[in-house]
Amino acid sequence: MERTVLIIEDEKLIIVSTQMVLEAAGFRVESATNGEDGIAKAKSLCPDLVLLDIMMPGIDGWETLTRLKRDAATSNIPVVIFTAREHARGHQKSAEMGAADYFRKPFEPDELIELVEKHVAQSA
Amino acid sequence: MTSISSIVDGIVVTDREGNVALLNAAAEDLLGVKSFAAIGKSLRDICGRRELLDVLVHDRQRMADVPQARQTVEVQHAEQDLLYVKCTTTRVSDYRGQPAGTLALLEDVTADFKTDQLKNQYLSIVAHELRTPLTGIKTFSTMFAKGSLGALNARQQAVADSIREQSGRLEHQIDKLIHLGHLDSDEYGQDREAFTVADLCAGLIAPFEQPARDRRIALTLSCDADPQALVLADRADLRRACQAIVENAVKFTRDGGEVRVQVGNGQDGRLRFSVRDTGIGIDSRYHRRIFEKFFQVEDPLTRHHGGAGLGLFVAKGIIEAHGGRIEVASRLGEGSEFSFALPAERQSVGAASSTTHSRKD
Repeated sequence: MERTVLIIEDEKLIIVSTQMVLEAAGFRVESATNGEDGIAKAKSLCPDLVLLDIMMPGIDGWETLTRLKRDAATSNIPVVIFTAREHARGHQKSAEMGAADYFRKPFEPDELIELVEKHVAQSA
Repeated sequence: MTSISSIVDGIVVTDREGNVALLNAAAEDLLGVKSFAAIGKSLRDICGRRELLDVLVHDRQRMADVPQARQTVEVQHAEQDLLYVKCTTTRVSDYRGQPAGTLALLEDVTADFKTDQLKNQYLSIVAHELRTPLTGIKTFSTMFAKGSLGALNARQQAVADSIREQSGRLEHQIDKLIHLGHLDSDEYGQDREAFTVADLCAGLIAPFEQPARDRRIALTLSCDADPQALVLADRADLRRACQAIVENAVKFTRDGGEVRVQVGNGQDGRLRFSVRDTGIGIDSRYHRRIFEKFFQVEDPLTRHHGGAGLGLFVAKGIIEAHGGRIEVASRLGEGSEFSFALPAERQSVGAASSTTHSRKD
């Protein structure tokens, strides 16, 4: 079965590079460039995993995470926070808010694949 | 008296009993109290800005143990915004050397504080803006170098590897920049967990082994401490601090020299980390300044090696946030030893409670 990863991220470059890595590893990758759009896609696509950026225009990653976890249609999808900026207690905060993991950019492609595999396997 | 009353910094003198003997105009303003209402009274009983007065009371009590105490306090000033006041209390002795009271200096450091805050915000934003394109470079160059985009010939492979390696270096520098801002945040220190000395040592010097080999420097790590003893710390940061010290030692050691990293037990079971090198050494007048932000000793070799002057500053900040102190013993031309000690947990792995949370790095 094809496994889908949804990337919610405002930087096109990150979307493209992440997409290349994950597609090469056999995932189907969809993307949204803001939180609102991301939530809508999460509902319609029911992805196996969401990779979520924090700093985005409009509603930020934390707010997006809150809404994904509040809605029964999306609350079971594992969300991995994906950030280029250090957040005070970011790791702990994301765990408390229901994120499955916290991942820093830049990343090693292999680490990304490993992380995605891990969470997709757990949710399956 | 005119000279003291006109000084821009606040001055408060108390006698042996802790009663106010002198208060200048600047101190009146900062403490929110008039001189006539304060002289002869205990610092405890004065009606004024208590948040500041309580600091003076506290630091005065500490004078029994330490000759000087210093802290910076946030003060809500009546007419102005929030002020940041640095209070330095010093023991005063009379001509026979007997304790005669204390002198407290109150400096308004708001401007410095705000500049520093701005600088840190700026660094954090810049770091984000740098990491984003770097993510692309790192990902693409890795795929390229690993042949995911097609087979490469030898020259192409060398170029791809080089791009990858250089992006790693860039990332390392950006991390250092980010940590400046991170260390100053109020929430720093909440990511602590218990891990073993063995964990700390594992792979600690690995990133410097090749550069050391290239310059025929003997780089060794020895651990005399119980490898199962626990350290309670921000794991990634403590590692970063240790590595900054090692990196610095390798950088300033001449070709063919030696860098010895030792992890052992200091006094009262504290974990002691030290790095001794046969490097160029540091002139004693720079022993304090080398830990300053962006500071580098003016030396042809330093310029030769580059760097932003952040490594030791970040290391010092991390170690101090963990209740330790970094020290340097060095003589010009003879090498240096950097060391610090941290409180180590007594119990070993088996007896310890499980870690609260882990941190991906």
